[in-house]
Amino acid sequence: MDTFIQQLINGLSLGSVYALIAVGYSLVYSVLLFSNFAHGGFLVIGGYICYFVLRSGGANIWVASIAALIGAGVSAIVVERLAYRPIRERTPITLYMLIASMGMSIVIENIFVVTVGGRFRALPPVIPTDPVNFFGLATTSAFDILSLVTAVVFLAGLQLFLVKTKWGLAIRAASYNLKTAGLMGVNVNRLISIVFFVAGLLAGVGGIFLSVRYTLYPQLGMITTKAFVAAVIGGLGSLPGAVVGSLILGVAEMLTAGFISSQFRDLVVFGILIITLIIRPTGLFGKSVGEKV
Amino acid sequence: MKKVLALLAIIFVICAAGVAFAAEPIKIGYLAALTGDYAQYGITEVNMAKMVVADINAKGGILGRKIELIPYDTKTRNEDAVNAVRRMIESDKVCAIVGANSSGINIATAPIVAKGQTPQISTVGTNPLVTVDNKGNVRPYSFRICFTDPYQGALAADLAYKDLNKKKAAILYNVGSDYAQGLREFFVKDYEKLGGKIVADEGFRETDVDFRAQLTKIKNSGADVLFLPGMGKDMALAIKQAQELGLKAVIVGGDGYAEFMNEIAGPAMKGTYYVNHTYLDDPGMAPIFKRYKEVYKDDCKEFVNGTMAYDGMYWLIDAIKRAGKAEGPAIAKALEATKGLKLHHATLTIDPKTHNPLNKAGIILKVGDDLKTKFYKKVEPK
Repeated sequence: MDTFIQQLINGLSLGSVYALIAVGYSLVYSVLLFSNFAHGGFLVIGGYICYFVLRSGGANIWVASIAALIGAGVSAIVVERLAYRPIRERTPITLYMLIASMGMSIVIENIFVVTVGGRFRALPPVIPTDPVNFFGLATTSAFDILSLVTAVVFLAGLQLFLVKTKWGLAIRAASYNLKTAGLMGVNVNRLISIVFFVAGLLAGVGGIFLSVRYTLYPQLGMITTKAFVAAVIGGLGSLPGAVVGSLILGVAEMLTAGFISSQFRDLVVFGILIITLIIRPTGLFGKSVGEKV
Repeated sequence: MKKVLALLAIIFVICAAGVAFAAEPIKIGYLAALTGDYAQYGITEVNMAKMVVADINAKGGILGRKIELIPYDTKTRNEDAVNAVRRMIESDKVCAIVGANSSGINIATAPIVAKGQTPQISTVGTNPLVTVDNKGNVRPYSFRICFTDPYQGALAADLAYKDLNKKKAAILYNVGSDYAQGLREFFVKDYEKLGGKIVADEGFRETDVDFRAQLTKIKNSGADVLFLPGMGKDMALAIKQAQELGLKAVIVGGDGYAEFMNEIAGPAMKGTYYVNHTYLDDPGMAPIFKRYKEVYKDDCKEFVNGTMAYDGMYWLIDAIKRAGKAEGPAIAKALEATKGLKLHHATLTIDPKTHNPLNKAGIILKVGDDLKTKFYKKVEPK
């Protein structure tokens, strides 16, 4: 029983970080109907900004985090302007944007390989990782709890943004139909920039937490493959779906590794994906296109 | 008269060409991971090799010719390494190759260097199959400068069972790595022979970064020692996550250990042990590490790789001198016949039956409270 609770906590904390990234995938998908595979790149950008501000600037974690989130958000806007907008303006076929995003993800990764090098970098111990005992039942690290809490805070913030603000309303409108929203007077380009900024910002949060947990290196964005799978399981375009999918995936991974064998881990992950797609092709929460956000 | 002039001209051209040919540099290939997971190890190796080449060239080269180093990136992938070695042999026409540091890559390139008759010296490829094939026959063009996994596994088992007095061991290893598989196998064999018990044997895949599920199992297995036959990043993440889960077992690793693990895992590294080929304060290497710092403005953090690359280059250069010509088969013969060669970190004698060094000492390192790796003990082979 102890082991089960322990593995469950491990799984939830892993799932919560997936969730931050998966939500970014879903957000972009809900508006533009394509999966932005460069998303992992924003995570890496956020991680490196945080690292360099902390190391060279001598700043504290708050300053570094804010710089990282804004930096990741802005770079997402830049990528959209450079790579996706020209395509978006020429063709309605989103497949080309998908391919462009794969290219951008390689570009971002290699920019880091060339400029800062492929070595592993560890963030200074800004986030406590001491073991925390749960009523003698399980031991987890303070970091796991913090990452779970942060994910919840940011996801709640996103929900508020979407429900309470004018731009949130515009995004929700655009997710029904981007063209019509444009005809109704929504500045579509600005709207898309905002969507990318928010997605990049969330990736930046994920980037900081993943760099603390798994160290920072240019290929760290690879981790987003799992987050993408989680978003698909939850239903691409659905934010609650992305969260639920991530938690399912995190827990499934840990339980598989803990009770069957770690070598079955990816098999189970992709097995769940395939089964979900067979039973519910739109994912768990993917409903009709109209209710995506 | 015209004929004589023409003849003279031809003779002159031939002589000039001859001179040019004699002055053509001896090309040595260097195979290393310069990008990807093992880039830290590879960059250090190439830096060291460049230092050796500069030194030798400053003294006039060997056999009256300068040396040219041709480094290639394996990208930490077997397929890229195979392509790199093909290019080295076929288009660059290198006479020998130093590197790579990982067993898997050397096993993958072994048939190609054999076909191309170009000797290859692995720096830290410890799996037996690097120099000997499945049937037990020696690979004629594959060599290594390090000791092998059976020896390393025995040292680790000895350390865990006798020195640390731990009787229940757990293992966490990369199932896709030839190196990790081999080292694990030999550790298990020797540890059980000593009387120890393996209570958990957990695997993970190459791309995994989260080992908490396996570590939870290991914690619950009651193991008092955890053996990590892995590479730097994997081991560092495992050590860090083990501490987060409150795992109390003493951690013992192999020569995949690297100084950058201290940066990743931080205080969790305290009190961990490693079996290795050399140590940072080795009197033979200390001045070289000092120079490395002056030249590259950085500590030689991956000192094991640095040492093996440095001495590997000197071993090869010595073999070329003894061979008297820069041709693969002759160099391979000279490498095979190496006896009592005084290098910087050890004196090298090669076993012609296995192409492994004989009588290399093992070093046990321990990470101290100040996160500095310290010499723990030296084990001379029996």
